Amino acid sequence: MNRVRHLLLVLVMLLSSWTSWAQVTFRADAPLLVSMDERVRVEFTVNKEPDGDNTFQAPTFEGFNILAGPSVATGMEVQWINGHQTSSYSRTYTFILKPQSAGKHKIGAASIVVGGKKYTTKPLPIEVIDESAGAQQRPSITPNTQPATAKPEAKKQEKQRDKSITSDDIFIVLNTSKREVYKGEALTATLMLYTRVGYPDVRGFDLPLFNDFWTQELPTQNQRSRAEYNGRVYDIYRLAEYIVAPQRTGELTITPAELNVVIQVVTQNEDPNASFFHAGPQVSLVNRKLRSAPVSIKVREFPEGAPSSFNGAVGKFTMSSKAPEATMSANSSNEITVTISGSGNLKFITAPKLKLPESFELYDTKVVDNIRTSAQGASGSITYSYPFVARAAGEYRLEPLVFSYFDLDAKEYKTLSTEPFTVTVSNDGSVAASSTKAQRNYSDYGGHMKQLDRDIRFIHTDVLATRASSLFIFSPLYWLLIVLSITIFIVVYVLMRKRILENRNIVARRMRQADKIAVQRLRMAERSMKEGNRHAFYEEMLRAMWGYISDKFNIPVSNLTKETIREELYRRGVTAADAEQFCEIISRSDEAQYAPSTESDMGEVYGDAVAVISKIESIVKR
Amino acid sequence: MSSINNITKVLTLVLAIFGLNFCYASQSRAEAEAEWQRALDAYTNKEYQAAVEALEHIVELDESTADVYYNLGNAYYKLGQQGDGAAFASGEIGRAILNYRRALRLDPSMEDASYNLDLAIDHTNDVEPLPQGVVASMWSATSGVMSSNGWAICSVVFFVLTLALALVYMLSNRIALRKVAFFVAIATFVVSLFSTIFALSQRAIYEDSDEAVVICNTTTSVHASPDATSKVIRQPSSGVSVRILRSFGDWSEIEFADGEKGWITNNDIERV
Repeated sequence: MNRVRHLLLVLVMLLSSWTSWAQVTFRADAPLLVSMDERVRVEFTVNKEPDGDNTFQAPTFEGFNILAGPSVATGMEVQWINGHQTSSYSRTYTFILKPQSAGKHKIGAASIVVGGKKYTTKPLPIEVIDESAGAQQRPSITPNTQPATAKPEAKKQEKQRDKSITSDDIFIVLNTSKREVYKGEALTATLMLYTRVGYPDVRGFDLPLFNDFWTQELPTQNQRSRAEYNGRVYDIYRLAEYIVAPQRTGELTITPAELNVVIQVVTQNEDPNASFFHAGPQVSLVNRKLRSAPVSIKVREFPEGAPSSFNGAVGKFTMSSKAPEATMSANSSNEITVTISGSGNLKFITAPKLKLPESFELYDTKVVDNIRTSAQGASGSITYSYPFVARAAGEYRLEPLVFSYFDLDAKEYKTLSTEPFTVTVSNDGSVAASSTKAQRNYSDYGGHMKQLDRDIRFIHTDVLATRASSLFIFSPLYWLLIVLSITIFIVVYVLMRKRILENRNIVARRMRQADKIAVQRLRMAERSMKEGNRHAFYEEMLRAMWGYISDKFNIPVSNLTKETIREELYRRGVTAADAEQFCEIISRSDEAQYAPSTESDMGEVYGDAVAVISKIESIVKR
Repeated sequence: MSSINNITKVLTLVLAIFGLNFCYASQSRAEAEAEWQRALDAYTNKEYQAAVEALEHIVELDESTADVYYNLGNAYYKLGQQGDGAAFASGEIGRAILNYRRALRLDPSMEDASYNLDLAIDHTNDVEPLPQGVVASMWSATSGVMSSNGWAICSVVFFVLTLALALVYMLSNRIALRKVAFFVAIATFVVSLFSTIFALSQRAIYEDSDEAVVICNTTTSVHASPDATSKVIRQPSSGVSVRILRSFGDWSEIEFADGEKGWITNNDIERV
């Protein structure tokens, strides 16, 4: 049992020494910036057991008084993780120094022997600042006095305690990398805590408000550094770091950050009346509200002459594209891919516009981005895919995609363009048989020309016409033309009066005398009848009948037929029976003219004719 | 020297074209011819401001025709369009509408002007006009086919035709021809009569139009009474067409196309 434990111990020792063989480091640690009245702690640490403390050789501390040291401390740590053992060892030699004078001092190299080998540290340059010299010139800033609620004596104490921490001792600052930027240009803003009283207890934190800025917070380690500020030495902690990009031009103000902190203050009780128990250093807590100064950023407008494809992209970019398949069949899909990469406001760039021929259908653009944000701004790439479907066969030249950005280094616009693409669409032969609604709609629509846009019509380019001094209507010329035409009319009328009158008389007389002529002709017929001349009788009868209608209704005989007579008579209000009888007499006379007939027939025809004509005369005259 | 050359060129052109009328061609006429050519060149070269100036000068010279107003309307329209991409400068649109309406007043049959006027009106906040009655809309559509002069010539031609047909009626002794001549003569007389009436109604519009167009930078106010402190009843943008009913001091009572009435300062409207 004892042996086993012994073995284990040996094993542990071996393992630990094996790990420490790995590498020996010997380093010096000290704040590089200190004030005159600060005590400087310098540590020399070795991570492997040295051959002996006497092998450690301290350096010369020029310009410093050694207050204490070297004090030696040893630390050892063994870790088992998942059966895996790690161990670490450290031996530290610590000195407490006090600067003798302000200026740049150097702590020389220390050396130590580990495993028979000598290791040395790098010399440390330490800057010592005389704060009292600067403090006298600086007007002391009185801290905000807290409302007087406590008793006078307590108030006095409170005041004293407060006075020990001025606004110079702890404050926050918002640093920006640039004060003047273009719209969309990224800058970093860092919120830093400057303190001379140690890291305070943060109770409330109001982050700065970046209105009108696009903001992204960067991960920060609460790392500590030292710096001189206004002749004094501060510990600086990075509280937050942002990448911001203004979205609007003009003077933009970042609303300050606010921090509620509680600071531990150690005070010596100076009250002589204080009891024994209250003597000695006292620790008290002081509340403080820290506020950063407002920062204003001047955001400039882009210069004139932006290309039409410029959409607010700022930075430095390159563009690459993947051409669509050169040949495709109608109603199949194809794709153009464009990648924009570089650094700048990648998150805000918009997809370049793709213009396709009328018979192409463009679908929603797919966007894939790969953007990293660091203190230097955003960088990476964005890929746009434009899927489309061609509906009609043909060879098409697609316009190139154009992307413009504002180059911050060159301070000018740059335009990137892809190659123009050519796509040959072959007929898939199924358009007629295609059954989807979209395809049918397209083939319906394809038959017509589409109104693409409208604009006003072009100006008139004829020779300038003379301005009409007055309008034609009722002008002298108008009246002249009217009077002239009336005069011509009257002259013609006068010249032709005789003929006109004759024309009018012939017509009127004929009409008036129609019955008289008929009577005369009938008389001649009667005479022929008495003479027994049949042929002459019927001839005269027909002439009387036809002539009567012709004169009465002013229709040339040549235009007359029995039908027209019947119609004409009917129109004038003669009964159908009478009209029929009239026509019948004509037919009978036609037949009888050359046919043998009796004398009594002639008398009958004559009597009927006289009766019908007188009947018609009485009706038509009315 | 070249300007003198131009003027002589224009003068000979005028001489060739107008022959006898040359004795009436005055100095202002020659100037107007030169300005017209300048305006055509400027417009073609997209220098719309220069085109506007040249054409406005022709109007000042009192040599304006329907074509001058039409081209001036186009120049203003383009000037407004140039202003800012899709958005139009409303002041220019108002002037474009005013000049299209003036062109149509002089020549109601100018189809290009009514087409461009429709496009320009799309850029204003003009109201929907009240629907017209069938007779009224037919009347205005028919009378708008020709200008006053066109109708007057029409009326004379048809009057002469009527007389000629009357002679045919009286001189012919062929019944069919007499009948045809008689009825056609009546028809031509009616056409002549209506042409005269249309010519007169077009003359009324030509000589004293009660139409006006609101001209301002963006929008202006129409008040309930001729008083700047009275209630604002409407805010028409530049280019809205109105009818002037009466004037009172610096104010005019106007009626919108939808029948609403109000008062506007004379500075903000321009008669067509």
